[in-house]
Amino acid sequence: MESTISLKTKGKGKGSKGASSSDDKSKFDIVKEWSNWSLKKAKVATHYGFIPLIIIIGMNSDPKPNLFQLLSPV
Amino acid sequence: MADLLPPLTAAQVDAKTKVDEKVDYSNLPSPVPYEELHREAFMSLKADNFEGLRFDFTKALNQKFSLSHSVMMGPTEVPSQSAETIKIPTAHYEFGANYFEPKLMLIGRVMTDGRLNARLKADLTDKLIVKANAQITNEPHLSHAMFNFDYMGSDYRAQLQLGNSALIGATYIQSVTNRLSLGGEVFWAGVPRKSGIGYAARYESDKMVATAQVASTGAVVMNYVQKISEKVSLATDFMFNYFSRDVTASVGYDYILRQARVRGKIDSNGVASALVEERLSMGLNFLLSAELDHKKKDYKFGFGLTVG
Repeated sequence: MESTISLKTKGKGKGSKGASSSDDKSKFDIVKEWSNWSLKKAKVATHYGFIPLIIIIGMNSDPKPNLFQLLSPV
Repeated sequence: MADLLPPLTAAQVDAKTKVDEKVDYSNLPSPVPYEELHREAFMSLKADNFEGLRFDFTKALNQKFSLSHSVMMGPTEVPSQSAETIKIPTAHYEFGANYFEPKLMLIGRVMTDGRLNARLKADLTDKLIVKANAQITNEPHLSHAMFNFDYMGSDYRAQLQLGNSALIGATYIQSVTNRLSLGGEVFWAGVPRKSGIGYAARYESDKMVATAQVASTGAVVMNYVQKISEKVSLATDFMFNYFSRDVTASVGYDYILRQARVRGKIDSNGVASALVEERLSMGLNFLLSAELDHKKKDYKFGFGLTVG
């Protein structure tokens, strides 16, 4: 049991060393993470919002069509 | 090209070009965009053949805004490892919205399985145009997007392309004389890592267009289109790949008649195809398509109706 405790502390020591070296790299990692997150959100926004955006822009152009013309099949 | 002018002024322009053969090098016309280099040849040789039923209904709400509904039913090819093609019958409905303005164009199409196809074209200034094209699906990692920035100079055009999964490309085309334009392209793809360079040339006159394109991927494409009259043009095409030693030659025709347009081609791979678009009345078009592939024994027939 004593040997396992010593192994654990060794592991903790290595872990803290590892954390400090990854802090130096993490600026670039933060930029990459943020760009990935924003691209994912942009993809979802485009997927759901592109066609409603076209419809909103079209319904506000002149001559302004009315809602019935949008929904009726004729 | 002079054939786009109405007939009265075309006769005067022809007389003028015969009289002054000297080329004014400071005032050359703008060349055709690099991706439309082969557009006359591909109008007859790469016609839109389809299989099954196609119904398109476009409803215009005002001059700029329109909605479209499309139904397509028929066998669709599924890529398979074996040599034979596997076809699965499918049916889908696609809803679309279009907005056209002189400086902004937006087109969106969404299918019943959630796939969105979005296109945008905006004129930022007189000479700079930005275009974007995206296909977005619900499945992860299968969506693509591509952004193009085009700059149009007085007698040249330059384009920068950026795509997802690290794709960068640039093309440049320059008018060298009234009739000859030369261009080149360069691209770099991140996944799989490869880059390429290509050159293209286009020579056109009132009655003919000849183009040639070489790329470092090994593809060489040469085509020639001759306009026989206002209604008839013939095209021929020769493609080969010097790495895989694949050669294809094809000959096609395009008849533009008053009520119909018939396009057809025959290929050295044993493929003969034709597409007929007939105008039944104002805004109502009937389509018939046939493609016979004798080598693979694959025969495709399609019919459709386009309203509006």
